[in-house]
Amino acid sequence: MKTRIKELRARYDLTQEDLARKVGVRRETILFLEKGKYNPSLGLAHKVAKALKTTIDELFVFDDE
Amino acid sequence: MKDKIRMTAIIIISLLVITTGALFSLKSFAIGEIAGGVAGVFIATTILVFAIFVFIRGNRDMKKGFPLQDERSRKVIEKATSKAFYVSLYLLLAIGFLSDDLIKFRDVSQAISIAVGVMAILFAVFWAYYNRKEI
Repeated sequence: MKTRIKELRARYDLTQEDLARKVGVRRETILFLEKGKYNPSLGLAHKVAKALKTTIDELFVFDDE
Repeated sequence: MKDKIRMTAIIIISLLVITTGALFSLKSFAIGEIAGGVAGVFIATTILVFAIFVFIRGNRDMKKGFPLQDERSRKVIEKATSKAFYVSLYLLLAIGFLSDDLIKFRDVSQAISIAVGVMAILFAVFWAYYNRKEI
């Protein structure tokens, strides 16, 4: 799984810590999400997408797509 | 507030476990059981190091406004707990099997204490492993 979190975070000038606070998770969770090393729940994916003003579809790219 | 209560609970439980480990070691050393004493010191020290790590990390995160636990950290704890439990089942079987021949325990309480200590160490090891791994 690949994500566009880093790209969108940079667009809105947010650090990992800023995004973690916005979403209400630990910083490591954002780090692992960015690396594609954590499959979030639908709820968390929605929260991250909302914080980055995008949709889940745009944010997460699966390898078979 | 919830995080502060959780942190306080972690500190109290850690202190109780460490005190028990220290008393267990003192008792073992006092009656000349060096191996039991060393095992107690090792287990208490490991738990102490883990507790200090958890406390420093939690305190730092709370000051920065991060939650003590979130979706991922709960998953890590779940995985570490289940793996530690499965391995502990084999450990308990091994202790039961070997206690007659290879290992001479003072009494049942000593065997149980060592099993509980090793379970705690297993949990710490699995937690450290899954905390760095893709889940």
